[in-house]
Amino acid sequence: MTAIRVVPAPGTGLPEDEPETIVVGASDAAFRVEPWGPGRAVVHGEPGSDCWAWIGADHPATTTRLRTIEVVVDGWRFELAVEDAARADLRRRATRDRDASNASGPLEIRAIIPGRVAAVRVAVGDAVEAGAGLLVVEAMKMQNELRAARAGTIEHVAVAAGDTIELGDLLVVLG
Amino acid sequence: MTAADPSSLHKDRARGRPFERVLIANRGEIAVRIIRACRDLGIATVAVFSDADSTSPHVRFADEAVRLGPAPAAESYLRGDAIVAAALATGAEAIHPGYGFLAERASFARLVEGAGLVFVGPSSAAIAALGDKLAARRSAAAVDVPVVPGTLEPAPVDRPDQVDRIAAQAREIGFPLFVKAAAGGGGRGMRRVDRVEDLPAALASGSAEAAAAFGDGTVYLERLIGPARHVEVQLIGDRSGRVVALGERDCSLQRRNQKLVEESPAPGLSPGERRALHDHAVRAATAAGLENAATAEFLVDEDRRPWFLEVNTRLQVEHGVTELVADVDLVREQLFVAAGEPLSEAILAAAARATEPPRHAIEVRLSAEDPARGFAPAPGRVGRWSMPSGPGVRVDAAIEPGSRVPADYDPLIAKVLVVDDARDGAIDRLRRALDEVEVTGIQTTLPFHRFVARHPGFRAGDLAIDWVAREWEPVVEADRAQALEAAAWVAAAVAAGGEGSPAGGEGSSAGGEGSSVGRSARPSSAGAADPSPNGTGPTDPAAAWRRAGRLAAADRWPR
Repeated sequence: MTAIRVVPAPGTGLPEDEPETIVVGASDAAFRVEPWGPGRAVVHGEPGSDCWAWIGADHPATTTRLRTIEVVVDGWRFELAVEDAARADLRRRATRDRDASNASGPLEIRAIIPGRVAAVRVAVGDAVEAGAGLLVVEAMKMQNELRAARAGTIEHVAVAAGDTIELGDLLVVLG
Repeated sequence: MTAADPSSLHKDRARGRPFERVLIANRGEIAVRIIRACRDLGIATVAVFSDADSTSPHVRFADEAVRLGPAPAAESYLRGDAIVAAALATGAEAIHPGYGFLAERASFARLVEGAGLVFVGPSSAAIAALGDKLAARRSAAAVDVPVVPGTLEPAPVDRPDQVDRIAAQAREIGFPLFVKAAAGGGGRGMRRVDRVEDLPAALASGSAEAAAAFGDGTVYLERLIGPARHVEVQLIGDRSGRVVALGERDCSLQRRNQKLVEESPAPGLSPGERRALHDHAVRAATAAGLENAATAEFLVDEDRRPWFLEVNTRLQVEHGVTELVADVDLVREQLFVAAGEPLSEAILAAAARATEPPRHAIEVRLSAEDPARGFAPAPGRVGRWSMPSGPGVRVDAAIEPGSRVPADYDPLIAKVLVVDDARDGAIDRLRRALDEVEVTGIQTTLPFHRFVARHPGFRAGDLAIDWVAREWEPVVEADRAQALEAAAWVAAAVAAGGEGSPAGGEGSSAGGEGSSVGRSARPSSAGAADPSPNGTGPTDPAAAWRRAGRLAAADRWPR
């Protein structure tokens, strides 16, 4: 049994404690994968629903990271972390316990897309409601408003209007 | 010019080269498109590039290339002064702006004209007259073209003392309405307003976005017409003041007011309705003194009445749709017209049959966006890149395997166009072409386009500008989840294969006799199933070479 977890693409906003996980490898498999040359496979599913899969980047496991494999099916692109199902279950429980104890801790808000900070709407010490606008980030000519996931007090603002930000950069800490 | 020459190509030869050297002030697929037209005519080309594009195809395809500056557009492709200087330094006689960036800035056209160069597009005066949407509304209304009801003067922004006045105007127009940018395009600076209380905030944020995008924060109000289709008319004019319509395009499939799919002719219009629409467009453009290429945009309401929106004074992203239907090269024509030539006979002939077009063409815009997250930009590095080809297919792109799609610019990465005698055949061809697309490394809008190509409502011509919200958004999660399940099995097979067994457990146990690859005929929504299996898969189990090929494929499986 293998657990396949979707590595959230930048900006999907999937909470880390609820990753999309699919367990595959049961004997009554609904799908059968047929290799079709390098980087391609055919997925046989229900009659009439067979499809091609393009296999992209394959990053081996490291001490801190699981092996991830990029698979594109019908135009949908996934980065999938591969893990033994039993181990995945253990880790998921451990993460949940940790998050439960951290729930009231400060929340780090990081850049989910590279771009430029167009405006900063909050300052250190501001009390904000859930859903309040924090920053405006401009990427690919569109302005995207970043909102508070929950109510709290602004503990730190790491960027200023005009700054260029990269994926994952710390923007705001919400206490 | 010898009038006896039968073909338009010979005609062009007779006309000679419109220019010896042209600078293309753009990047990406449109820069490549323009370079191709120039090279077809034997015109030398000069590309410009930012640091993000120094190895891009448009730089390689051009005869020479000039660096403009760092990646941000404001420091590179929007630097009109640097572009004019590059043209003068390289001896270019004309500048083609493409679309976006400086294409519709009258100030840039003036700068080019002032330097003694030719701007390939309308004159700076016409750009100013038509590019200001408010002025365009006024001038169209003056020649009896029906304009969308709304204001004809700039709306006050951040003026607490004038809130009452603009609120009263808004009530008169009626809600819901739009705040729109006078300098706008592509939906930037545009805000939908449903209640009068929201108006001041919408004016302020729309104006701020417009100021950031265009350097001009002027906004106005316009009634929301719905349900409506977005239909636009391709125009081209010469220096004598003659303007002709080359047919219309339906661009109703949009998200965030940016087009996703365009087709020509607009389904369901009678030749008479088509003629009326083309006449409105020609009148609005002629009144503004248009020359060169432009597009008049209309909303067409449920009763198929057209309402004038604006004129875009540039080559449109979707110009190729008209080229396929009318069998003309708009960029080539732009160059000749810019050089002072009259409209060619090929163009006049195409204009004469524009109300009864002989073919049907469809374009989809493949963008680096995630259709599961409201088409949010998804920049990144492309891995595999393979585009469709074959009969009736045209792809305009400037991406190669390993290309980076930078966050600094528009997310459009390729335009896939198809053409056939009739709309049904064009849709079939679109579905086939999209099945050939292979892209890895970045999320693209391909799932959406595949969905459109299989959708019975799309085939029936049931189009409206809220189509994406109505048809796609309710099913997008299910569509993605289905693909994810298949992808998970592939990842597991790859992982298992990597641990020793040659082709992975699932793979080598193929026993795939009789299995056929019906390309993803997954029913993405009710009734959208693909009934016809695609014939390119291993359909004939008896063919020994296929088995051998499959085994060879298994041997090549990455370990």
